[in-house]
Amino acid sequence: MNANVKNGDFGKRLKTMLKVDALRMFTMPTVWIMFGISLALPVVILVMTSFVGGGTGEGAMAFTNVWQAIGSAGGNATGMDLASMCNINLLYFLVMIFVCLFVGEDFRSGYSKNLFTVRSKKSDYVLSKTIVLFAAAAVMFLLYFLGAMIGGGIAGLSFDPSEVGGSAGGIFACMISKIFFVLVFVGIALTLSTVGKQKLWLSILCSLAAGMLLFTMIPMMTPLDAGGFQVVLCVLGGPLFALGLGAVSCVILRKTSLC
Amino acid sequence: MNAIEIRNLTKTFGEKRAVDGLNMTVPQGAIYGFIGENGSGKSTTEKLICGLIRQSGGEIKLFGKNRDDPEVRSKIGVLIEAPGCFPNYTVWNNMKLQAANLGLKHEDEEIRRVLHLVRMDGAASNKFKNCSLGMKQRIGIAFALLGNPALLVLDEPINGLDADGMRIMREILTDLSKRGVTVLISSHILGELEKIATHYGIIRGGKMLKEMTAEQLNADCPTYVALKTDDMEKTRDILQRAFGRADMDEQTGEIRVYGVLAQDVAKYLFGNFGIAVSEIRTAKISLEEYYINLMQEGKK
Repeated sequence: MNANVKNGDFGKRLKTMLKVDALRMFTMPTVWIMFGISLALPVVILVMTSFVGGGTGEGAMAFTNVWQAIGSAGGNATGMDLASMCNINLLYFLVMIFVCLFVGEDFRSGYSKNLFTVRSKKSDYVLSKTIVLFAAAAVMFLLYFLGAMIGGGIAGLSFDPSEVGGSAGGIFACMISKIFFVLVFVGIALTLSTVGKQKLWLSILCSLAAGMLLFTMIPMMTPLDAGGFQVVLCVLGGPLFALGLGAVSCVILRKTSLC
Repeated sequence: MNAIEIRNLTKTFGEKRAVDGLNMTVPQGAIYGFIGENGSGKSTTEKLICGLIRQSGGEIKLFGKNRDDPEVRSKIGVLIEAPGCFPNYTVWNNMKLQAANLGLKHEDEEIRRVLHLVRMDGAASNKFKNCSLGMKQRIGIAFALLGNPALLVLDEPINGLDADGMRIMREILTDLSKRGVTVLISSHILGELEKIATHYGIIRGGKMLKEMTAEQLNADCPTYVALKTDDMEKTRDILQRAFGRADMDEQTGEIRVYGVLAQDVAKYLFGNFGIAVSEIRTAKISLEEYYINLMQEGKK
């Protein structure tokens, strides 16, 4: 009997896998919850910290400018103040949790069993997952940016970037850097998810621990006054790091039990 | 060419050897009943065949090629433990994902075809989590059938099926076998397996204890006459002397005599010893009984 399954070349295989992963992702309630959180989080943070202090308390001092929700100039925001802790960088943790949930569901449902029986290429799987999860993370960052605008508007914060040492170009470069830097976190969470497989709690805990270790790097790599150097570093370094960890994930998938 | 050829397959988990130098040959088009106790290595072997776990040693060839060959892998349909479906998706959407993964040309048509094959046409819009156990098993078979696989690997597919479900499963597998599909099926429901299997492999402690065809099993499972009389002890002694072998079946309380006709035994007992037979029937050793005897012999 001749099976009518198409093997295809790398491009076709990847296209198929991307189609499936995208279909899965956007039919998953979790992704919409994550998008919702990304949009609502800055609104809540900016509005709450402005109104709770009544304009004179500590809350009001936390955010005086809307761009503080995006980052800080010179990458100095590594302190323990509210603006440094509760800004867009929190999304890196949210992205890691989402990666673990998305990949973990493959193993928990047994879907990976179906997949890896008919497809020997673990690299297709890892690459496709990296791309769709990066796309989802990018959407989350853009939604956070949008939420910061809305929240800043409601709270009546200043929109002048020069007040916090930034510029319009710097903010754009900062967002590009942040979006591509997330590939480092996607790569780590993806690798840890292939290690944890059905053990979702293990993947999430290890990912969050790894995220905490790297947390202080984020403001340094993606400052509000980012320039060409940071952009190039993140745009090239992020994908390279993710590819390197992807290769590690492939080895893990090849060497370990898939069910 | 054989559909599956395994030589010296070994799989260790730490200190434990789950599969220990296993040899196995499954001819193309066969329905291969894979039998063994819990923990004997059946599921591990099936997972190794599908590439879900890596062997510690030995060789697995499918259709004469390496198990990892992409062409070969695209010919395998699998149902191991439970169908890998997302519980919140409908049956149709779950199947769409798998069809897309397989790169099928006419996805919708193919999904309708396999759902019809397993008599699940009406269940396409049901959420997977709302399906009964029997429905899930049939959906799992439908999953495995997507893309017309040449080899089906099924782990306990008839578990949880009602009588009608088992009949449907039998019909599906027999039909597939007629169309040249090779089926490797493990099950503890030996009575059902006996109705469809053309070949058997009995595994114990990770080793292949015995491989045989259904004809060889038939030859190894002779017919016998089971009878009851008023004086069972005396009757058994007489029959043992006359026919060489007469066993007492502890479970049914019958005497078994092999290789004779029922009327000859009844005539012999009554004509020569005046012993009247109260119950008599002709039966055949079942696969289950054969298997249990084999296991007991192995333990001794």
